[in-house]
Amino acid sequence: MSSDQDHLKEADTEARFEFKKEEKSAFETEKGLTEETVRLISEDKDEPEWMLERRLRALEQFQQMPMPTDWPGQPDLSEVDLNEIVPYIRPDIETRGGAENWEDLPEEIQDTFDKLGIPEAEKNALSGVGAQYESEIVYQNMQERWEEKGVIFMDMDKAVREHPDLVKEHFMTKCVPPSDNKFAALHGAIWSGGSFVYVPEDTTVDMPVQAYFRMNSEGMGQFEHTLIIAEENSEVHYIEGCSAPKYSAFNLHSGCVEVFVRDNAHVQYSTVQNWSKNTYNLNTKRAIVEEDATMEWVSGSMGSKATMLYPATILKGPGATDNHITIAMAGEGQNIDTGAKVYHNAPDTKSTIESKSIAKDGGRTNYRGLVHISDGAENSSTSVECDALMFDNESTSDTMPYMEIQENKVDVAHEATVGKIGDEDVFYLQSRGLDDDDAKQMIVAGFIEPITEELPIEYAVELNRLIELEMEGSLG
Amino acid sequence: MSTQLTANLTEEQVQQISAELDEPDWLLETRLDALAALEDLDMPKVIRTPGRDWTNLDALDYETLVDPLEWEQEKDRVDAEGVDVLSWSDALDQHGDLIEDHFGSVVDPQRDYLTALSTALFAAGTVVYVPEGVAAEDVKIRTTMNSRSLFNYTLVIAEESSSVTILERQSTGTNIEGEQYYSGVVEAVAGENAHIQYGTLQNLAEDSYNFQVKRGHADTYASIDWIEGNIGSRLTKTNVETRLLGDSSESKIVGAFFGHEDQHFDLASRVWHEAEHTTADLITRGVLDDAARSVYEGVQDVGREAWDTNSYQRENTLMLSEDSEADASPKLIINNHDTEASHSATVGQVDEEDLFYMTSRGVHPELARNMLVEGFFVPVLEEVAVDELREDLDDLIVERLVE
Repeated sequence: MSSDQDHLKEADTEARFEFKKEEKSAFETEKGLTEETVRLISEDKDEPEWMLERRLRALEQFQQMPMPTDWPGQPDLSEVDLNEIVPYIRPDIETRGGAENWEDLPEEIQDTFDKLGIPEAEKNALSGVGAQYESEIVYQNMQERWEEKGVIFMDMDKAVREHPDLVKEHFMTKCVPPSDNKFAALHGAIWSGGSFVYVPEDTTVDMPVQAYFRMNSEGMGQFEHTLIIAEENSEVHYIEGCSAPKYSAFNLHSGCVEVFVRDNAHVQYSTVQNWSKNTYNLNTKRAIVEEDATMEWVSGSMGSKATMLYPATILKGPGATDNHITIAMAGEGQNIDTGAKVYHNAPDTKSTIESKSIAKDGGRTNYRGLVHISDGAENSSTSVECDALMFDNESTSDTMPYMEIQENKVDVAHEATVGKIGDEDVFYLQSRGLDDDDAKQMIVAGFIEPITEELPIEYAVELNRLIELEMEGSLG
Repeated sequence: MSTQLTANLTEEQVQQISAELDEPDWLLETRLDALAALEDLDMPKVIRTPGRDWTNLDALDYETLVDPLEWEQEKDRVDAEGVDVLSWSDALDQHGDLIEDHFGSVVDPQRDYLTALSTALFAAGTVVYVPEGVAAEDVKIRTTMNSRSLFNYTLVIAEESSSVTILERQSTGTNIEGEQYYSGVVEAVAGENAHIQYGTLQNLAEDSYNFQVKRGHADTYASIDWIEGNIGSRLTKTNVETRLLGDSSESKIVGAFFGHEDQHFDLASRVWHEAEHTTADLITRGVLDDAARSVYEGVQDVGREAWDTNSYQRENTLMLSEDSEADASPKLIINNHDTEASHSATVGQVDEEDLFYMTSRGVHPELARNMLVEGFFVPVLEEVAVDELREDLDDLIVERLVE
């Protein structure tokens, strides 16, 4: 690539994510996690009693559950001392629940999202945008035409007050109960912010809605909750983006995503995760998919120090379909432990999992996945494909798929390959005039292309840019 | 974790077993150490899928199963020219120093509770010694278990540039009542450029519990191939492992299993690539009928210094009944990028179209199914070098199909 083109390559991509803003907050809890903290958060949010009760119950479960430590190859969580985390920071804004105009936001927050390019994307490619700064949504807006059709896209905190019936029924009940795992319980106790998306019957939201999550303060934890309900015959694509500036102390992100996909509906959930490399990213994401409905998870994990994330799909209705597409990239000091979980609980269900991972400079990627086919899930089929690319012998790549099959009329296939960048491929590209770095970047771009194809163009470009950034100058 | 078993076991018993075999002191000590360690050792690791252990070894009542002094077997050893195939007492007599060098060097006598138990109590078993340069085919060891418990220990030493194929058959005699426990340990040492193929055909009675550890060390240019045929037993837990320690060493682990009724197979295989230019190939095929259950795990572990590694794994399971269950977990652990590795696993049923094709040609559906199942095992059978093992395995498969 010539230097002219280099110049055009959004040279400030790094600056876009790495900048810090002075912290300014209206309300901040003490470090640590006690019943007192939970009550304070709930009070500050002016929550109904039932939500406080749920939080306290989750806290109790959290305190009883052990840290996960016995998974082979899992990230080291010993540094994650929950007494060192500031669980709740309400940014200093006038409008709680999200302003509808970027201009209404304090300048430094506006500036943050400007740098991240969110308002620009909103104009061009999105049906709605939500932006969370620290613990609360600061901006939320959706095009009017969707509002008229009854589509709801709002701050989760606001939804607790305005749609109590829907939230009460679906919030951490059947999909992700707090008892699911220690960090789901933690989330249940101190969750804050996130989005609530409701798509009524027979409605197709044809442009994606997006939420962007930003952690700005050192040592904070972000615990946003996303709840998506797609009624019969509806369709929606939700994109989440995440970033934080790098601090020396660790940050914790423990989000929870619950998706209900009713009969014949279609939900795609895409994530571009670029947390700073001091962040522990421990999430629980799950979808329940009814008859003939489809769930698609698309995840790109580039950032964080350690990630443990296995989006799960429960194929509950006959004919339901799941597609998982994940890319993980781990560089120096990173352990990206990710994968997929699919439960086939009904006949004629179908799942495909496609995972691509890249490990370099001593980084570690793990694919950890489970496909479970229950007795009675006749004529189900699943196909799992994992490919890993490695750059050096400092790095590690593990593939740990599990298959539990309790039904005989099924078609189950798993395949994985691990390889290095082919010297011949590099040589070929070099002989065409590319330098070593560019040749390797191009091969990596080709390696992940099946995944970038699935993203809207703006995100595919962003993902590619992030990967280029990760690769720059790091290749020997 | 320990079980009630130690109450039933004494140092005297171990001393008695050792004395009967006329053993040197070092072996008696190894046994007594293993016995003493029982208290602190855990049960062998069983295969886990997230959050679940599928095999429960703790539920076994060893007290009623194990009877250390009452062991009885029928052993038939067929040697080949130039190879020593010996009982322990003969082997210790003839190759004492060699055995002292290698015993316990591959399988840690205290790797887990059941292995330590085996080390402390084994009385049956065989030592196969292949001197330098000797090429031997068709060594056969047939073991018929005629007591409630049997602890069998096999040590294979193949010197530089030797080669040997070994077939071990395990079955149960007709006169035992009640449940039984069979425990087998196999250690294989392949010297430089030595080649060992070790085949096991396990056809124990279906009220027996079966625990086996097989592990080999392959030196430079050496190869160790394991063939595992599992047909019998009520519950089987196996670990079959090779460490590729020398450059350009190779290993194959080939498995075939056929479970029916309420049989339970927990089968783990593992290869460590620890040197340059090493190759591993893991191929397992299994069939499950009735309420049989299998849990399979295969691990390809590529070390930091294992440059230019090739590592492959395939596992295929065929389910013939509604009530059978199969779990599969092929794992890759890769620490060196100069690796070509792949694994795949499938679970399915007999192909409807194949069945239709055959029945449309006038083949009875039952016969058509049996032919397809038999055919399913062909890729595995083709890997077996010992004719007798291949033929017997095939016969047992057919026998089970027409039951």
